[in-house]
Amino acid sequence: MNVLKLTPFPTQDKEKPLNHGRFEPYVDNGGTVLSVAGKDYCVVAGDTRMSDGGYGIQTRKYTKIFQLTNKCVIATSGMQADTLALQKKLKVMLDHYQKENGKVMSTPAIAQFLSNTLYYKRFFPYYTFNLIAGIDEEGEGCIWTYDAVGSHEKVKYSSQGSGNQLVIPLLDNQVAKFNQLLPEGPKDVPLDQVVSFVKDAITSAGERDIYTGDYADIVVIDKHGVRWEKFELKLD
Amino acid sequence: MFLTRSEYDRGVNTFSPEGRLFQVEYALEAIKLGSTAIGVQCDEGVVLVVEKRLTSPLLEPSSIQKVVEIDSHLCCALSGLTADSRTIIDHARIETQNHRFNYNEPMGIEACVQSICDLALRFGENRSGGDEKMSRPFGVALLIAGVDEKGPSLYHSDPSGTYTQYSAKAIGAGSEGAQSTLQEKYSKTLNLLECQKLALSTLKQVMEEAITTTNVEVAIVSRDQKKFKIYNKEELEAIIAQL
Amino acid sequence: MSFNQDYISHPVFGQVDYFNKKNHQQPNQHTPYYSVHNHHQTDAGKQKTLDPIVTGSSVIAIKYNGGIVMGTDMLCSYGSLARFNSVQRQKQVGTHTVIGVSGELSDFQSLSNTLDDLTTDDFCIDDGSKLSSQEIWNYIARLFYNSRNKGNPLWNTVVVAGNQNGKSFLGKVDLVGTCYQDDFIATGYGAHIALPLLRKEYDDNPNGLSQDQAVKLIQDCLRVLFYRDARSSKRIQVSVVDSNGVKISDPIELDTYNWHSGEAAVRTFQQVALGK
Repeated sequence: MNVLKLTPFPTQDKEKPLNHGRFEPYVDNGGTVLSVAGKDYCVVAGDTRMSDGGYGIQTRKYTKIFQLTNKCVIATSGMQADTLALQKKLKVMLDHYQKENGKVMSTPAIAQFLSNTLYYKRFFPYYTFNLIAGIDEEGEGCIWTYDAVGSHEKVKYSSQGSGNQLVIPLLDNQVAKFNQLLPEGPKDVPLDQVVSFVKDAITSAGERDIYTGDYADIVVIDKHGVRWEKFELKLD
Repeated sequence: MFLTRSEYDRGVNTFSPEGRLFQVEYALEAIKLGSTAIGVQCDEGVVLVVEKRLTSPLLEPSSIQKVVEIDSHLCCALSGLTADSRTIIDHARIETQNHRFNYNEPMGIEACVQSICDLALRFGENRSGGDEKMSRPFGVALLIAGVDEKGPSLYHSDPSGTYTQYSAKAIGAGSEGAQSTLQEKYSKTLNLLECQKLALSTLKQVMEEAITTTNVEVAIVSRDQKKFKIYNKEELEAIIAQL
Repeated sequence: MSFNQDYISHPVFGQVDYFNKKNHQQPNQHTPYYSVHNHHQTDAGKQKTLDPIVTGSSVIAIKYNGGIVMGTDMLCSYGSLARFNSVQRQKQVGTHTVIGVSGELSDFQSLSNTLDDLTTDDFCIDDGSKLSSQEIWNYIARLFYNSRNKGNPLWNTVVVAGNQNGKSFLGKVDLVGTCYQDDFIATGYGAHIALPLLRKEYDDNPNGLSQDQAVKLIQDCLRVLFYRDARSSKRIQVSVVDSNGVKISDPIELDTYNWHSGEAAVRTFQQVALGK
């Protein structure tokens, strides 16, 4: 049984600071990017919403896709400040490579270089989730998909970011033709079909993921270079 | 040549009033004492042939190596103070391996040659301070042969840190005679076999000793295989027999 | 029957401890606390802003036809205490840029010094070129990002507004280096309360706002903020940056509804003394 008594005089060492939130260097600004590679092209989509880490939208026109060369773009979701730093670093290193080696860095070389760049910051990582998309030296569409510390894989399609879980099953089913009762197997699809499919995919992500929306950049990379298109998503 | 020589040949950091760096010029002289090396390039690839001076019958020929690997697509022949080449080759090997690590692709030939020359120009640096690396220019010249996406190519680099691309180039003691022969007989239309023959016969011409399988080294860089190969004894025998 | 002791407020010295709870006196919940973090010997004597202490509240800004209007109040709070009530939170940087700053006051002052160094150096180069608003914005973004990488952030959100060569610039940077440009920007509580108002007015005027409209809008927003943001005041400053350069207004006392109970906090000492 409890005995009533006066509380003791507080001692100095028991005084603690307020329950401060420690400085949190990472913010997840959300967003979805995805890419599908074809025989001689690559299509990339990324929404342009930037969230504040919670329910708020900071801006509706932040593009997540960055052109690295005439044959290669990087699409990044995650933390915007880290994304920006990574893009700036890659740009500087690509310019440096071009001067040292007398040629533009190839897409596979960029893919390897990005992995190393991410891994060098293994113990204070860039909070970024990347796709490298482009065409290789043979002109074939190719995509590399990464985690924040540089693990990577060469794939034919991929998605990253907050709407990733919504997009991936769609791509599995419609691009790789997985999980179908009447199997047909993957086939070469003309570019315009893939572009409209990719628009459907990012629209669907915007429909269900609160961090994805506003507008989408649709980027096509082929032997003619890199072409951009703006595409409207819902603003809610 | 050195009639105007004065006190200006003591340091590598001081130009003479005529605008010369004597120590570099002396280093270039050192190469003219070295054994002859010849490189010939064509569309199909590059051939490197080098004379090995066997100064004593008791000397083990295989202990002298004058054609060395930098990377699987890059090799070089050397003439001059071969000990100095160790530093250069080490550097080039690290550079090419770093390139593979960073970019998952073989390094370009010119980029590698450039990085070798960057090293060659570092004489006179770090005179004070902890890690003194070089106190004089390298006394060695290189013929660097390799193949990249631009095709096969042959470069020459010297102690001054200059590099130049050649279709055919001779360095070392017999270089003057050999170079004029090459100039006379080289043609853009040669195939790899003909290049090999031209290089070897030119070397034979300027060698004092008779040419044997033990006193020459031959390497070819093949465009198709994107690799280089150093000839073994049997292969050497076969091509010497054809001369 | 048992009480969930977690819900019991902390006993204070002299009070009866009904629940025999271990006493742990906490500092006033509404008063911030300076914590000195000395993790390593080498860090001795080095203080970092790991929590903001004296803070300014929202900054709001919007583009209009020909320039930008930016507004802030002039209060800097110490926790819940309205500590300093006439602090200018806007600053002209260079020739045609103004910044408005939320967050830690001391970090704002440090940033001010850094930017003064920057613009002084730029002036001394004397090449006829002046730092653009975008360059200043980018500089602040790199400064903030690099500081956050060192675990020593500048605890501010900065709004950068400028007008040069007939083009308006409006951008924002936060303490981790996030940065973007937009047509209207609000920080802190303003992002919740003022931003929808700014967006509505902006969208309702597809041909753009006039300067008068924009100034009125910003003042209205600051008034709404004063009503609901407990860390704001009705003493405000509104700056206009257009082709004529930067003009930061003198302090303005907002007209409000009968909301006079807190007036002493936002009036200057002199005003109170004179009975105005």
